[in-house]
This record gives sequence, structure tokens and C-alpha cells, in this order.
Amino acid sequence: MILDLHTHSIKSDDGRAKVENYCKWVRKKELPLDGFVLTEHRQFDDTSDYRHLEDEYGLVILKASEVETDYGHVLVFGVNDDLVNSFDFARVDNPLPDVLEAAERCGAFAAPCHPGRRNVGLFAHYERKGPVEGVHTVEVLNGGSIPGEDELSVERAVAHGYRGFGGSDSHIVSRIGYCATDFDDDVRDIDGLVTALRGGRFAPVSFREEEMDRDD
Amino acid sequence: MTDLQAIRDEWVGVEFESAEFTIDRDRVIAWAEACGETDPRFTDPGNPDFQAHPNFTACLSTGRMMPENFPRIGSGFGIDGGKTVEVHGPVRPGDTLTGRASIHDVYDKTGRSGTMVFVIHRMDFTNQNGELVSTVDSKMIRSR
Repeated sequence: MILDLHTHSIKSDDGRAKVENYCKWVRKKELPLDGFVLTEHRQFDDTSDYRHLEDEYGLVILKASEVETDYGHVLVFGVNDDLVNSFDFARVDNPLPDVLEAAERCGAFAAPCHPGRRNVGLFAHYERKGPVEGVHTVEVLNGGSIPGEDELSVERAVAHGYRGFGGSDSHIVSRIGYCATDFDDDVRDIDGLVTALRGGRFAPVSFREEEMDRDD
Repeated sequence: MTDLQAIRDEWVGVEFESAEFTIDRDRVIAWAEACGETDPRFTDPGNPDFQAHPNFTACLSTGRMMPENFPRIGSGFGIDGGKTVEVHGPVRPGDTLTGRASIHDVYDKTGRSGTMVFVIHRMDFTNQNGELVSTVDSKMIRSR
């Protein structure tokens, strides 16, 4: 089962994609996605209900968050009230150990995204401040990466023994599915996603070249 | 370092200027054509539903983007982060709009370029009947 674990909708300040348009694009382009996760910046969208779109388009649509820490950006899956009250999602300098600890305590799953990116990547901070305990999984394939960033992510993730997943980091409709994650198990809801991520039975996948060929 | 929370507490929601605008037919047409619009509702004064292009209010300004005494954030020049127009009702030639300017939000975010601060300047436009017809958010970006 393939899910894009990192997408942004118009709920994010820099997102330009409506969720239904993501669905239409996935189906029109026959992308090999079974669903996607909305990871809005510095917030958790607990109001939007996309179940009717799941039914209409046959896609799994889940909600998570992308928060910002002193070690870069972090995706948090399985956000609940306890976690929302554990730290300020809107801040850009949340201490990474606090976010990791809170996610663990609240039954969520936190993983740094685009770790090879300058300034906002985990490994750039590692070079200056050293590694952080508690990191176990990172996004090694990111659809918004520039050349060299994903290569660095993969190399450092292997060196640190981290598991890797993929996400498009799409902010516009045509970018969804550039990168994604292939799970061995079925994932139908956010609890299932957290369980699957904890189980580690997944692999990052990239569809970027195929996408570019398709567009040509 | 600038205390954004203090700036938010003091300035978000504060209306700092207003101005009136009479909507001119020729300017409405010129704007639509400049946008590449071909729908006669926005380009043909003879159309029964002739009105301003939905983003027309983006060109209306009080001339001041920041309140007096608004604290300086970051260094160097700011970057125009674009505009978002929300349409609440039609704007037609001959209407008199009142635009009220306020600071809608101030927040920061991090990216490849470091930490950037975003200031959202909002203009709410009401027509001569007191009806809200358009909201324009202008995003200004400064490096921190």
C-alpha cells in the first residue's frame, strides 16, 4: 500500500492545493497512490472532514502535522489533544527532544523531514550541535528536495541507523506523489499509520522520473 | 531578537487606516484586460452582469502598508509574498468602496533561507450599502 506521507493543502499558509483537487489529480494521472497524509505547517487541522472525498475517490486521506524545531522540521503522525497541549505547534523553535518525547508519550509518531536540507534539515543541525537521542526514522525522499539533499539524507540515515520513508512535500496539486512510502500492511486510519510506522515494515519510493516523463 | 508574540498582541486586528474608492469603469476594464481576462462579464460594459474582475481590489491601496510606529522586523528589504483575494460580493463601476487596513497576522517560519517573518496586511472592502465585498491579504516577508 503506497501513501504519500507529506502533503500540504490550502490550510497551510504556503499551500495552494485543495484536497479534492489532489484526489482528482491522483485519479486523472493514475498515480500509484492509495492515499496521502496532509501535514499542515505549524498546526493540526482538527476541523476538516475528508471522509466524503475518501469515499468518492477511493483514497485514504489522513491528517498529521509538520512542526518546526531547533533541529529542523518534523512530521508528527497521530496527533491528538494530549499532544496538541504538550507544546506550541505554531513555534519555530520547539526543542526536538521535547517533541520526540511528547509524541512518544501521547501515542504519536514523530520523524524529521527533509533531513538533508540546508538550515531546516536535521543533519545540518547535527553537524553544528551533534545528534539527538530518540530519532529513529527520517524522511529520506522528499519531493521538494534540490539535487544532493536526498542523497545526503539517505547517506546520513544509513550512518545513524535510521529508517527512511518518503513524501512529496507537495504544496501544489501536480507535485503529489513525487515521493511516497510503500507499506507492507494495509493502512486505513491514523492509528493504523502510527502502528505501521512503528513496525518499520515500509520503504521509501520515488516516482519523480516517471512523473516528469508523463508530463512530457 | 524581535518578540513576535508581543507584536502580535499589540498589533494584530488593529485597524490603522481607511480610504474611499470610487470604482471607475475604464479602470475596471483595463485591469481585466491586463489580467488576460476574456469573460465579457469583466470586460464588456454592455454585459448585463458587468462587474470588476474578482481580484480588482488587489490594486486598491490606502498607500500605507504598515501602521505608524510598527516595529522594524529583521534587516534589509522586505519581499512581496503575494496577495490573496477573497470575494464576498460583486464590485461594480460606480460603487463607492471603503477599504479598511489592518494587520491580520504576524508569524515566523523556517526554511532553506533561514528564519523569515511574515506580516499579513489585510484590506476589508465594504460598498456603499455597508456590504463586505472583498478581502485582500498582502503577505510581506522579511528575513529575521
